[in-house]
Amino acid sequence: MTQVSISHLTKSFGAAPVVDDLSLTIDHGEFVSLLGPSGCGKTTTLRMIAGFEIANSGTIAFDGVDVSPVPAEKRDIGMVFQNYALFPHMTVGQNLAFGLEMRKVAPAEIAQRTARVLDMVQLGGFAERYPAQLSGGQQQRVALARALVIEPRILLLDEPLANLDAKLREEMRGFIRDLQKRVGITTVYVTHDQAEALSMSDRVVVMFGGRIAQQGAPDAIYDRPASRQVAGFVGQVNILEGMVSGSDGGRAVVRLPQGEITVPAASVPAAGSKAAIAMRPEAVALGAAGEPGWAGTVVSRQYGGNLVDYKVELAGGSTVHVQCLSATPVAPGTAVTVRPDQSRLWLLGA
Amino acid sequence: MSGRILTGYCLLVYAFLLAPIFVVVAASFNAGNFLTFPPQGLSLRWYVVFFENEVFMRAIRTSLWVAAVTMVISTAIGTAVAIFQVRYAGRAKEAVRVAMLAPLLLPEVLTAIALLFFFYAIGLGTRTMAGMIIGHVVITLPFVFMNVSAAMESFDPAYELAARSLGADRWTRFTRIMLPLIKPGVIGGALFAFIISFDTFTISFLLKGIGTSTLPIQLFDYLRTNFTPEAAAVSSVSIAMTVLAVLFIEKGLGLKVHRF
Repeated sequence: MTQVSISHLTKSFGAAPVVDDLSLTIDHGEFVSLLGPSGCGKTTTLRMIAGFEIANSGTIAFDGVDVSPVPAEKRDIGMVFQNYALFPHMTVGQNLAFGLEMRKVAPAEIAQRTARVLDMVQLGGFAERYPAQLSGGQQQRVALARALVIEPRILLLDEPLANLDAKLREEMRGFIRDLQKRVGITTVYVTHDQAEALSMSDRVVVMFGGRIAQQGAPDAIYDRPASRQVAGFVGQVNILEGMVSGSDGGRAVVRLPQGEITVPAASVPAAGSKAAIAMRPEAVALGAAGEPGWAGTVVSRQYGGNLVDYKVELAGGSTVHVQCLSATPVAPGTAVTVRPDQSRLWLLGA
Repeated sequence: MSGRILTGYCLLVYAFLLAPIFVVVAASFNAGNFLTFPPQGLSLRWYVVFFENEVFMRAIRTSLWVAAVTMVISTAIGTAVAIFQVRYAGRAKEAVRVAMLAPLLLPEVLTAIALLFFFYAIGLGTRTMAGMIIGHVVITLPFVFMNVSAAMESFDPAYELAARSLGADRWTRFTRIMLPLIKPGVIGGALFAFIISFDTFTISFLLKGIGTSTLPIQLFDYLRTNFTPEAAAVSSVSIAMTVLAVLFIEKGLGLKVHRF
């Protein structure tokens, strides 16, 4: 197991930095996801850890040893690529053996280790197949096996599930997560899919514009996003603009067009300053007209199987998304009330 | 209906392409004294004449040797440039491509004259075969280059990165990953180089070493004074050589490396 410490890493292609003074430590055996939109620098960071890109400044250290001068082929990393990059002219067995041959492992041991890892990814008996004879999911598991069979110090995954269909993608999340825990390898996972990052990681690092916007455990990122940008990228969020009108203990009283509402706040901004409250669509309940809450009208309804997403226009002018279990359908045009769960709101600065 | 029209059309194209070859081969089995079609009786006599003709035999050996040397040099240079062009040339990519294809744009006779002047200017002259081989390399390079660069364009750089992450150094990545995957392009290019060198006339005619002759030149020489079916026999053997070279390189070096 290896600890990776990245400090003040900067990389630019042309004028604008792609990775901008990024510092991050990944612990022994930790599963860290770099999450962000395309162009946020997550893949470039991964490629610098792998040694495929050279940083303009800053260092990357494995267990305290600076690996900047070490070329990719000597870094002892296992990498899984978005398109798997399985060697098409080699069988599955030859693909797995390749890294071991580079390490001058004896043929008998190669056969033994290859077979063991193939069993681990549930592809025992596939050694003689060529990659093109496998399904996408199987190729994905071969790519994992090829990266793991060399027993690398670090496992790097670059959007490995992006090319799979939705159902397989969900299955593979659990599969990769379990495998990573079983092997206990330090893992960096790059994705733009927040569901992947949240469901698989020990820690999620949200990146925007080459910088870390927020990092923390998946639930911390989801429940307490540090900024509007993070809140908007990780899951859906309703934001209602208002003004701070006072404080109530450790809570801020915010005046919205719909009425006043109290929100937990670490530090309450001065009365009169602009503020917004944020809430997840599933932290808002829908009620019949006349019930306590904010009056509004259902504008649209999007059926999603287990959940239904309602778009509700509030009396004060803003719209909120409400997500609830699809028990009794409410038709668009119906007058309703919207009641936020007070414990699941948070305050955003202006 | 449209399928039948297409089939008919294809047959016509094939007839157009293959009829001259058929006529030449058929004429070579002529028993008569003159190059005529249809042949006057069947005989292998002109083949015997040809194989006993020491001048033709020497020319065919020269042609095969020149074609083989040209193929090796042209394939080595063309492949290297194609890899450079696709992978490393960056902004110069288009310029490299145009430079490599330039010999195709120039009439062969001009290339030959330019090289001839150049060889005399630098003192190489035409005393050896070197000049002709250089000339053949120049005109065959574009074909190697085009084939290999097409193969390189479809070669995913991720394969090389994957090999790097698995610990392969530059040489191993080249021999075990890149070369096997671009092999169809390399072999295709090598075939073109061999065949074009074996068949070319103009450039050989101007650049050949003094006292040497290639098969096309010898044939031309022969036809100026003779009109026997021996010429058809020479052509038939030449065609057979080309076909054999193609088969040998395809089967021998294994064009089908992928089992998709």
